[in-house]
Amino acid sequence: MSEEVIQNVAVIGAGTMGSGIAITSLLGGHNVCLVDIDDQRVELGKEQINKFLARSLSLGKMSDADHAAAISRVSYSTSLKSARDADVVIEAVFEDTEVKRALFGELDAICRADTLFHTNTSTLSVTAIAAGSTRPERVVGTHYCNPAPLMKLVEVVPGRRSADAAVRRSTAYIESLGKSVVMAKDVPGFIVNRLLVPFENDCIRALEAGRADVETIDAAVTLALGYPMGPFRLLDTVGLDIHYAVSMSLFTQLHNPRFAPPPLVTQMIAAGDLGRKAGRGFYTYEQKLAFGA
Amino acid sequence: MQTIGVLGFGSMGAGIVDLCARAGLSVLVLDQSQERLDAGHRAIGEFHASGAARGLTDPALLEQVTARITGTLDPADLAGVDLVIEAVTEDERIKADVLTRIAAHVSDVCVIASNTSGLSVTRLATYVSHPERFGGLHFFNPAQLMRLVEVVRPIQADESTVATLVAFAERIERHPVVVKDRPGFLVNHLLIPYLNQAIQEYDDGLATCADLATAVKLGLGYPMGPLQLLDRIGLDTHLHATGVIHADTADPRFAAPVLLRELVAAGRLGRKTGSGISDLEEPR
Repeated sequence: MSEEVIQNVAVIGAGTMGSGIAITSLLGGHNVCLVDIDDQRVELGKEQINKFLARSLSLGKMSDADHAAAISRVSYSTSLKSARDADVVIEAVFEDTEVKRALFGELDAICRADTLFHTNTSTLSVTAIAAGSTRPERVVGTHYCNPAPLMKLVEVVPGRRSADAAVRRSTAYIESLGKSVVMAKDVPGFIVNRLLVPFENDCIRALEAGRADVETIDAAVTLALGYPMGPFRLLDTVGLDIHYAVSMSLFTQLHNPRFAPPPLVTQMIAAGDLGRKAGRGFYTYEQKLAFGA
Repeated sequence: MQTIGVLGFGSMGAGIVDLCARAGLSVLVLDQSQERLDAGHRAIGEFHASGAARGLTDPALLEQVTARITGTLDPADLAGVDLVIEAVTEDERIKADVLTRIAAHVSDVCVIASNTSGLSVTRLATYVSHPERFGGLHFFNPAQLMRLVEVVRPIQADESTVATLVAFAERIERHPVVVKDRPGFLVNHLLIPYLNQAIQEYDDGLATCADLATAVKLGLGYPMGPLQLLDRIGLDTHLHATGVIHADTADPRFAAPVLLRELVAAGRLGRKTGSGISDLEEPR
């Protein structure tokens, strides 16, 4: 396996995560091509990247020269063929095993034999996704936290067939971006979601059971445990619909009731109380800030 | 509210006594021997000294605090206090005995609170006369640094008892949260399953101890990793806490993981014994 320096990165999927991951690679000095299936999606990703870079410039975190260089290193495309020259392809498309698996199948015919493949799944099996590729030994799970440019943590997850060299090269690449890497087993939820999701569900069930109200539980958790945000404030930020999807995905795979989304989540989604982005969740918000989805 | 009676001058008792005295309240603290009273005074002195050494506590404060604290071995001395907080050993029989004796000395309307972390407050209330004046007041360790206090409402308590405990907690600059009297109250009910899960996941090889800590610190903003927290709490303390709740509820989230039992059996109890779970050799 080639140990050549990584220069060209292709990110597939221009949503929040894909754009965020593209920014982290750009800031690491790499050439980045952001790919999605139509102009509209690509345009949204481009807006997100430009906005982030403009804010970094105005906050003085980036010089004019660095800003111009970053802009010049990023390209946009609606064709997967643009991943042809990539040293690393990072997949951040819709959280669906079949979709991700098919994508890696298509990349087989496009990419060089020594290309490294990263899948940014949060709840799915890296092994199952890698099985869509004829080169599963080159596929590694890399789970970024949202927002990717700001969060230091990346979970690196070897699939059953991942080659040690591919895992080492992936870890070195992500660490070169200034991130901290933790190695997790390929089990549903890896470390962060596997520990967070059942805790949040426990908090929701404590609320349902009338042990205490929303504000009380948030205050207890932040003051006694030192967590930066109470569970309900966090659920509102993440979005109840996203929590439901993550929770259900984990429950479907694990059959452990702690992972099952409690009835209150379903009820809130039915009422449209999706959290901060809807202006209402466990709390009400004056401004409908879209964040976290 | 002027004078607070505190039963037990151990580490929790000392923290509570210190907090009351810092808030300008007079404190009468009862224990079984002069040695234990002396040890409690010493613990407060050491806490202030370490705070002062780090520039966090005014060195002059200790003198004022000490002047407000009176130790006694005679429960009759507590007859005139406005509120009693029990902080003796976490054992129902010991607490029952102390509570019954003290209730006979104080007035019928004097509010009595237990600082239990795991026992049923409703059951403890049955050991005092006029149980409607009884409630739970769960402080976290160290009490001087942890702002949260769980005010636990047993079935028998009347509204004025709960209101008195909330007002007292605010008076000593704590943040009270009123919770139902259910095993683990609120914080331990939420924390213990997370810790049990972390032990089991670690034993199942999800990640190294260091990577578990990095993941929750950087990914979730938690102040420390779950296994490091367990070593700080004490693995025997955690095993006891989760066992009591499991015995009461049969809730599988509270079943003690096998690795936890093994570590306690081996005498690896965490920080206090110099070895615990976070320093197990890896890979095992």
